[in-house]
Amino acid sequence: MNCREFEENLPLFLYEELSGEQRAACEAHAAACEACRTALAQTSRLHDVLAERPSREPSTEFLMECRQSLDEALDREQHGWGGLFRAWVAALRLRPASGFAGALALLVFGFGLGWGLRPRLANVAPAPTTNSASLTGTGEDLQDARIKGISRVAPDPKTGDVRITLDAERRVTIEGALDNDRIQSVLVYALKSYNNPGIRRDTLDALRAGAGQPKIRRALIYAMQNDPNVGVRLEALDAVRGLDWGPDLQQAFLDTVQHDKNDGVRVAAVDVLARHADRALTPALERLATSDACPYVRMKCTNAVRQLAKTGDDLSNGNQ
Amino acid sequence: MEGACVELAGKVPAQPVGRSEVEELTLIRRAQEGDRASFDVLVRLYDQQVLRLAVQVVHSPEEARDLYQEAFLKVYRSLHRFRLDARFSTWLYRVVMNVCLDHLRRQKVRKEVQTPDGQDGETEYFQTVPDERPTLDPERVTHSREIGGRIAQALTRLNPRERLVFEMRHYQGLKLRDIGEMCGTSEQTIKNCLFRATQKLRSELADLA
Repeated sequence: MNCREFEENLPLFLYEELSGEQRAACEAHAAACEACRTALAQTSRLHDVLAERPSREPSTEFLMECRQSLDEALDREQHGWGGLFRAWVAALRLRPASGFAGALALLVFGFGLGWGLRPRLANVAPAPTTNSASLTGTGEDLQDARIKGISRVAPDPKTGDVRITLDAERRVTIEGALDNDRIQSVLVYALKSYNNPGIRRDTLDALRAGAGQPKIRRALIYAMQNDPNVGVRLEALDAVRGLDWGPDLQQAFLDTVQHDKNDGVRVAAVDVLARHADRALTPALERLATSDACPYVRMKCTNAVRQLAKTGDDLSNGNQ
Repeated sequence: MEGACVELAGKVPAQPVGRSEVEELTLIRRAQEGDRASFDVLVRLYDQQVLRLAVQVVHSPEEARDLYQEAFLKVYRSLHRFRLDARFSTWLYRVVMNVCLDHLRRQKVRKEVQTPDGQDGETEYFQTVPDERPTLDPERVTHSREIGGRIAQALTRLNPRERLVFEMRHYQGLKLRDIGEMCGTSEQTIKNCLFRATQKLRSELADLA
């Protein structure tokens, strides 16, 4: 090995990425060459200096914030408000011919000109309003409604339909079955993004009935992990715990135990994990049993680890 | 130093702990079919590592969040092109590295060079790894901060590719072969890149080393 080769291999020597043979050649060269020995010492000191660089770890809150932004961006990618309402318009236009929107009735109420049209609408349900404009029932009106927010979400226990009241330049109510894709999209959007926790909680209640459907399942899991309101997170956890168990659910509960700031939520999540008895979780729970800030969570994790071990032993004995 | 590298290396698993390749393949396949839940799980398997890399190569939380988001949106948009016989982590990191490279190139053009330390508002987003050295005192903290600033400044002297390769090897603890795969280039090219980066840093930080 010559000096040039030594110099080129120096970083790899320090990162221990050389083969045994190459390493021995480097060491032999350094022992014989003072200039290269000096270079080795300098680069080694450089590594010591570089270790002084403060390591910045993203905080859990920041990670959650990034996840939420990403989720919203992905939603916008699929269907933002604009896309959502354009899709409604298309669905509403199909209604008379295809019966597609048999489960989706658009109900818009108001005084003035809109009120005058009220008798012409079948299946109209009253919704409070302060001002109104005309109603034609066509998509164009809805599209132009300039939706500002959601004022109420209410499931109808008798029919299973959901009524969503939207705040717009005039108040708009739409109603439809939970398995309707448009209704689902609005509710999922509201659960994930709406800034009123009361509405999010109501939305969650409305979604529970359809928790088996993939989009709703995903939204409930998201709420359990990311909703800023602890009450909504607990409510979501309660809804999610009864779903068909799968890898997404296991990961979600594990993330919750590891990252949720609220002790109660973490305890509830440990309980669910313990019940589903997957021994692959043991290392993670063991770590939490010693590292979680809350003594009760630590105790719960310890118990869960014991329970998992016992379940494993029982299974082993059963197999013998 | 080696200890630090070993510790960091453990944070960038090629295969996330606790999940088999079969499970991951299932998730990828479902995500390719449009299943958002599976995509979300995939994101959560890797996003901590991605965010950790992002906060190291940019100056502000906003930039880090943008990088994180841009990277995963690109993954989402191009997931259908991922071939299941390749390693997902390598493919994902290739996307992430390209996003980081583009960002660093844009930054270089704008010449908005700032040190990452001491900026207001960062502490709420980035938590400093607890320093358990018993001799820690205010004077040493100040000294470390100064050195940290010098290192950050020296790192900006590297070109974007050198910067990223150095970051991945030195601070994230990835092997050169893996970095080569992620960059879609040979191990030798990465080795040369690392060599140039080390030379530049040695020159920049000669008075400290």
